[in-house]
Amino acid sequence: MLKRPTLLWLLVPHVLYLGVLPLVNRVTPTVLGLPFLVFWMLLATLLTPAAVWLAWRGDRKRAARRPAAPAGERGAA
Amino acid sequence: MNATIATSIFAAFMVLTLALGLLAVRGGGRGKGGLAEWSVGGRSLGTVFIWVLMAGESYTSFSYLGAAGWGYNFGAPVLYVLAYMSCGYAIGFVVGPMLWSYARRHGLVGITDLVAHRYGRRWLGTAVAILATVCLLPYIQLQITGMGVVVTTISYGAISLNWAYFIGFAVTTLFVVVSGLRGSAWVSVLKDVLVIATLAFLAVYVPQHYFGGYGPFLDRIVAEKPQWLTFPGHHSGGLDQGWFITTSLLNSLTVVIFPTTVAGYLGARSADALRRNAVLLPFYNVLLFVPMLLGMAALFVVPGLTGADSNLALFKLVVDSLPAWLVGVTGVAAALSSIVPMAVFMLVIGTMWGRSVLGAVPRLANRQKLWSQVVVVVAGALALLLTYTAPNTLVRLSLISYEGMAQLVPMILLGLVWRRLTLYGAVSGLAVGLVVVCGLVFTEHDPVGGVNAGMVALAVNLVVALAVTWLGPRPVDDRPDAEVLASDLDTGEDGPSEAAGTGRGAEPGAAGESGVSPSPAK
Repeated sequence: MLKRPTLLWLLVPHVLYLGVLPLVNRVTPTVLGLPFLVFWMLLATLLTPAAVWLAWRGDRKRAARRPAAPAGERGAA
Repeated sequence: MNATIATSIFAAFMVLTLALGLLAVRGGGRGKGGLAEWSVGGRSLGTVFIWVLMAGESYTSFSYLGAAGWGYNFGAPVLYVLAYMSCGYAIGFVVGPMLWSYARRHGLVGITDLVAHRYGRRWLGTAVAILATVCLLPYIQLQITGMGVVVTTISYGAISLNWAYFIGFAVTTLFVVVSGLRGSAWVSVLKDVLVIATLAFLAVYVPQHYFGGYGPFLDRIVAEKPQWLTFPGHHSGGLDQGWFITTSLLNSLTVVIFPTTVAGYLGARSADALRRNAVLLPFYNVLLFVPMLLGMAALFVVPGLTGADSNLALFKLVVDSLPAWLVGVTGVAAALSSIVPMAVFMLVIGTMWGRSVLGAVPRLANRQKLWSQVVVVVAGALALLLTYTAPNTLVRLSLISYEGMAQLVPMILLGLVWRRLTLYGAVSGLAVGLVVVCGLVFTEHDPVGGVNAGMVALAVNLVVALAVTWLGPRPVDDRPDAEVLASDLDTGEDGPSEAAGTGRGAEPGAAGESGVSPSPAK
């Protein structure tokens, strides 16, 4: 984890769905007519792919910087 | 008249399903015949097939029935399905490639195989196979019964429950036995097209038809049913925020090692196909909002549903408001949402037994694929038989299914990245975890103190596993770390030459003697 800080993006869904739940557990204000909790969950659902994509992009950049490893990128260190 | 139209459409699509599922066997290419070809599609599925398959198997009959039913009865707590699937996909970004490369390098076809290799004990694979079967059988029955109620409802009663159960079993068993994972993937294509189309249509049509659009529908829910819109929901019996958070977290960790998910992982052609899917799959979850919201819409249209009837909240609206042919098509989408997951459940049970239970008997070991296919039929028939004769047995078991499977998380996930975890530690943790789950669930202490009982058990499990690892005996295992541990950055290509799809995994003890690279630091 420490060697691949971009993996921290993978925690974003956990924060959005679970971490901030006490703050978003409410009906008002409604957004586009949606009760707030439902709106928030929809937002989290749409942001999850973005977060995972950021983690992936970080990983690929890291791999590109270390062209030494032949084909495999085995040594994650 | 209505019944004839809807039933004909259903029958036509069942024939199409069977045809697709059986034809899929021709997609096999070179690696003809082996267990790996059948169980994990020769490890050859690309991004699109993996997406279709994994979306297909996670969107079960529960999504149509249970999700609407929970929305109808409780409201907000149903959102846990969404939360755990999204979080699970994020975790799968790391776990998917990790399990995929490990299995590929060592020629493994499932989680039972994987623990047998990690801990160097065949009997452990056998034990895990039996445990997982006990946890999975109820799911097959849930799909059979789910399909039964849907088919009876959408055929306007023309197809009886018992026949509907049997059709579900027969169609699924036939194509799974012949085509294995590839058949499920092909049928998933049909399923996903129908599911996406019908749910998108319903999402627009139902609010328009009953309420005159989303605006009035949402206004009415907010004004009249606010109790449904926040935790703990409406009369949900303790499904508050603590329950939501622990359940979503526990399930998101469990779903990545769930045997059916792992079958999807192992079917992938490359680790990148899995990473791409970790990004793309969460989009499918948007569809889950439809049955949840429509379940709540049903509160206004068909109030007063109780018990099992509330699961039909969505279909009452469908039958009430749509012409027969559309009812038929929607029913087919829901029926396929039972068939695809059921197919993968049966497939993994077959694989586990063919490989780790019967395959562990030396005399039977050279016919692993055949035994797997036999077990598929036996497991399916057993679930069908229990559905007819003792439906409540498996329903009771299903209460512990997910929380029971969750107890494998330390043994598999921690074991694959942490060499020091010993066999004794992992096994004691698992045993204690299972006892705690059964103890709490069967005495109706789930949730316990507002927390998911499986999470409590997992915590105990982990503590025991660590304690026994540190204080207990240390089995001798002189294999190098690279042979025993897994990394998600591994390309999995230096092992037995499975890359060419030679079905090498079918050989007993194909566990390779590779692993020359240094251990990946984690």
